[in-house]
Amino acid sequence: MLIPHPLLGLRDAQEFTYLGDAALLNRPDGMAEGAEAAFAEYVYLRDNPAGLHRELWFHEQGDRSWLVVTRDTTTHQILGAELARDVKLKGGAA
Amino acid sequence: MTDPRPICALGAAAPQTCRIGAVTLTENADLGLASLALRRGAAVPQIGVALPGPGGWAEGSGIAAFWTGPEQWMVEFPGRAAADVAGELIAAAPGCSITEQTDGFVAFEITASEPQLLALLSRLVNIDPARLGPGTATRTGFHHMSVFVIRRAADRLALIGMRSAAGTIWHALVEAAQRQEVPA
Amino acid sequence: MTRLAGGLIDRARNLNFTFDGRTYAGHPGDTLASALMANGVRLVGRSFKYHRPRGVFSAGSEEPNALVELRSGARKEPNTRATMAELYDGLEAASQNHVGPLGFDLLAVNDLFSPFFAAGFYYKTFMWPRAFWEKLYEPAIRRAAGLGSLSMQPDPDTYDKRFLHCDLLVIGGGAAGLSAALTAARAGARVILADEDFCLGGRLLAESHLLDDAPATEWVARVQAELAALPNVRILPRTTVFGAFDHGVYGAVERVADHLPQPGAQVRQTLWRITARGAVLAAGAIERHIPFQNNDRPGIMLAGAMRAYANRWAASPARRVAIFTNNDDGHRTALDLAAKGVEIAAVIDPREGVRTQGDYPVIAGLVENAKGRLGLTAIKVAARGGSQWIDCDALGVSGGWNPNVHLSSHHRGRPVWDAALQAFLPAKDGPPGLVCAGAVAGQGGTAAALRSGADAAVVALADLGITAHAPDLPRAEDAAQNLHPLWHVPGKGRAWVDFQNDVTVKDITLAHQENMRPVEHLKRWTTLGMATDQGKTANVTALAVMSELTGKPIPETGTTIFRPPYSGVSLSVLGGGDTGPHFRPRRLTPTHEWARAQGAVFVEAGPWMRAQYFPRPGETTWRETVDREVLATRKGVGICDVTTLGKVDVQGPDAGEFLDRIYANAMKSLRVGMVRYGLMLREDGTAWDDGTCARLGDAHYVVTTTTANAGPVYRHMEFCRQCLWPELDVQLISTTDAWAQIAVAGPNARRLLERIVDGFDLSNGAFPFMACAELTVCGGLRARLFRISFSGELAYEIAVPARYGQALAERLMEQGADLGATPYGTEALGVMRIEKGHAAGNELNGQTTAQMLGLGRMVSTRKDAIGAVMSRREGLAAERRVLVGLQPVDAADPVVAGAHLFAEGAPQDTSSDQGWISSACFSPHVGSAIGLGFLMDGAARMGEVVVGANPLQGQTVRLRVVPAHFIDPEGERLRD
Repeated sequence: MLIPHPLLGLRDAQEFTYLGDAALLNRPDGMAEGAEAAFAEYVYLRDNPAGLHRELWFHEQGDRSWLVVTRDTTTHQILGAELARDVKLKGGAA
Repeated sequence: MTDPRPICALGAAAPQTCRIGAVTLTENADLGLASLALRRGAAVPQIGVALPGPGGWAEGSGIAAFWTGPEQWMVEFPGRAAADVAGELIAAAPGCSITEQTDGFVAFEITASEPQLLALLSRLVNIDPARLGPGTATRTGFHHMSVFVIRRAADRLALIGMRSAAGTIWHALVEAAQRQEVPA
Repeated sequence: MTRLAGGLIDRARNLNFTFDGRTYAGHPGDTLASALMANGVRLVGRSFKYHRPRGVFSAGSEEPNALVELRSGARKEPNTRATMAELYDGLEAASQNHVGPLGFDLLAVNDLFSPFFAAGFYYKTFMWPRAFWEKLYEPAIRRAAGLGSLSMQPDPDTYDKRFLHCDLLVIGGGAAGLSAALTAARAGARVILADEDFCLGGRLLAESHLLDDAPATEWVARVQAELAALPNVRILPRTTVFGAFDHGVYGAVERVADHLPQPGAQVRQTLWRITARGAVLAAGAIERHIPFQNNDRPGIMLAGAMRAYANRWAASPARRVAIFTNNDDGHRTALDLAAKGVEIAAVIDPREGVRTQGDYPVIAGLVENAKGRLGLTAIKVAARGGSQWIDCDALGVSGGWNPNVHLSSHHRGRPVWDAALQAFLPAKDGPPGLVCAGAVAGQGGTAAALRSGADAAVVALADLGITAHAPDLPRAEDAAQNLHPLWHVPGKGRAWVDFQNDVTVKDITLAHQENMRPVEHLKRWTTLGMATDQGKTANVTALAVMSELTGKPIPETGTTIFRPPYSGVSLSVLGGGDTGPHFRPRRLTPTHEWARAQGAVFVEAGPWMRAQYFPRPGETTWRETVDREVLATRKGVGICDVTTLGKVDVQGPDAGEFLDRIYANAMKSLRVGMVRYGLMLREDGTAWDDGTCARLGDAHYVVTTTTANAGPVYRHMEFCRQCLWPELDVQLISTTDAWAQIAVAGPNARRLLERIVDGFDLSNGAFPFMACAELTVCGGLRARLFRISFSGELAYEIAVPARYGQALAERLMEQGADLGATPYGTEALGVMRIEKGHAAGNELNGQTTAQMLGLGRMVSTRKDAIGAVMSRREGLAAERRVLVGLQPVDAADPVVAGAHLFAEGAPQDTSSDQGWISSACFSPHVGSAIGLGFLMDGAARMGEVVVGANPLQGQTVRLRVVPAHFIDPEGERLRD
């Protein structure tokens, strides 16, 4: 696979480490009321879509950027990649 | 009591060099390195070389720098491994996060004619040579490690990897150059 | 001898080779198969299950029969296709899969028992008694079945992995591939042309017809010369593109030196990882046969292959041959062979009204049986007037051609049935960017292939924004095949569909009767297509036979799709050069050479080589050495390289806040010049990693990780920085390799360090426990000093730039000679940390919590941090097992890590399980074995005796529960 790195262009997926669902960006506030229930969901519950999936890849053998990659899990087509930092600053992964 | 004497990354007192056919491999033990990262809202510092954009390597006078990540660079000080280059950089780039890196890495300089160099590249890293022209640098995978590959000139390439793996990297480079030599 | 005139072989040179010990001669340009054929050898092997005699069946990589063991000694390679083995002088080959001589295989008795070996026999026969399976059935089957044997020696050759990038990868160098490559090359695109043969030209080399009134080889040579001269083209001969992976990544194996007696300095094979923006699949087609009774006799082969042997290799399997065909292509074989002086006994063609196209008889009928166990002698032909036996020594069979669609379905695309062509064409949803051309796309005529290759290149390049134009192409034939479907000849006897795995029409019929009708079931019930050739000459025919039985059309019966690899790829080439000591990167500590000079024994710790212990003359066991190192450290001073711990530089105004959020305990409050132990949790609340955090400046921390987790912790820290809290102004960079870090531990540690620091006050008041500083040592050498202790002794860790690590170790030893300075390795390190009760990897095993480690109070409730919330959840908070020390009641008893803990007298089962022993060692300080473990309500059970059970060795040891600090429980030594 090739990952379209937003700064470096197409890079071989072998340079990357996969983490999974980009919903991990939306970490609950640990000091808020009901934090435990929110964390239980955050830690254990994932969608497993057949189709578009927003997911986290780490450019471990590259520039050490975390990326949010949008991939079709049924075809492996990649529709785009953004720096996770930018996604988070814009309000997290939808 | 004598002064403590440094050793090179490959374990000897003097750096290794080796010529295999048209390819020359040299352990560059004199390269001073410091990483530089911008802090929030900081201006790009003037350090004697224009800090390049993603994938870039730029050379100034006695100094060079390559992009390593968003708002991060590695600054090279050729011939100055013995100096406190990080200290100097802190003075030149106040408000930046500077970390001494001279000993974190081992640098190998590779010289060969351009076609030979490109052929060698195909044995080293999975990077399209068309995107690794002179003045570029990138970090990529290399035998289950990661290395910086710098195209210093059409006929010069540097490979910078973690110091502790110097022997493994050297072995891989020598082997690749030797295989290059065998006529297919 | 059945060598003919002409051909693309160099008759000026002889190449000698042996087959089953007999010496033969061939020529450069021959394959082993063509050379054997030219020498009149028809019998080359035995089939997998029935041990039926077999001969060469094809002329390419689809070969099901002619598998041999090539070479000898360590280079012996079983299951090599004779059709792919390029002849070299001194080649050694042996037939395989027989007991006794090839002509009289004792296991051919299996053939007589064939009714017992029908489809599914494994599943039906060897069910009972159960115990017989392992002892009797399996060994017997393994001996009788199977193909070649391995050398059982290490592979002496080297292999390479390389990378290529291009605009257009052209797979196949026949008419379509050459025309595609030429089109793209002239447009300036970066082109790779890969072909599995050692000559470019593909089928053009096997045909007699002309291109522009000249032999096709002239055009091939011209195109090859033009391509070879262009800098934007790379030709890879002897290269099989075996897989189409995602996003234009292709895998290919180049057989660099397989055609040489020995690779010499060259690599044997290269694994190419090709990243192509576009690709043209021009892999041609594979001819199919027509099953009839005893159609596996040596001498019966594909008609197109027979023609290829005659035209390209000037070889014929016999002087008198017959052809059985349902299409015009079979007649070409008759014409070409006749032109070379081979007698054509007859062309048997079931189509209505077919007439001879040359000087050979045509019989309108079917071949329904064959004679000649070790080599064909006659065929039985059924025609309108009845049956007759016709003498012939070889038979070419043509049932039409199957486009070689494999790579087009590597992304699960399903081939599409074309009723007009009676063949499967490439999937419409094949790999993006892959365009099919030539026979693959159903354009099998030479003129059509040439045109479609050029067109495919134009289309593929247009997608990339490159404009290309079809070149002037030579005039060529474009004859139709006029095929009339004929999938098998009905009859009573066994008619082979899959030669290599001995699957017959009867087996398919049986599968149908037993309702194994879907193609996936058919395959697994009969083992159709599961041999080394993956059924390249069998699958479509089998599908057609099943279609007849079910009465459904072929596309409704099923399709067969393909996965990589297209043909077998050796594990050696997949491994590349990564063998032996180069299996993976090896990391050396800065004191490695020094430690070696001290006689250290090294141990692999992940990628690191660490000094395990330093034996001295006279010491006979490692224990003796380790005990000495421990005692010397606790009595005087020990030094140990601890560089392998991960080190991360954390800077920026928000560095403290960031660390507060990633460590369970507080870090922001740490004063400059001090160090704190830090515990990291996983977000699920489990303890993960520990280390130290030193604050070197207002906005500058250095944290350490365990050796094993250096990579994962750094990745996690970047995750936290970029994905969770990008608003924090903090920068991270790994500095693990930059600093050589050496632990100096023991009551004399301060006195030793005082001798090397440059005027730095090391007194307890000025530099207390958990202090840190940047300073110089040895007369100006920059260093970092941390007063931390893993051993429980007065201890420091001192860091200098890595290249001075060795000098520092030498200096410490030299200056500490009178203080008892002793180097110690990872074993002594482990003993001392167990004696002190420090957790390490065995305790931080992903199943334990801060509370279990006795560190529960470290998890701050006043702040949010990774894992803090989940660590307090009910299940984890209720955990009662805690870290304790364990000491055998009888000092002579062993303590074994992994043993489980039980109350005395309780049954040793899971419901009574009270915990486990995580670490154990012999403690020279205590004078017995000791252990650390997690015990139910352990804190309240001090002094109690429990049982440590190690059922693996039938061992039960009585252990006394003690605090997890075997030395200095109050920590006075550390703070002294």
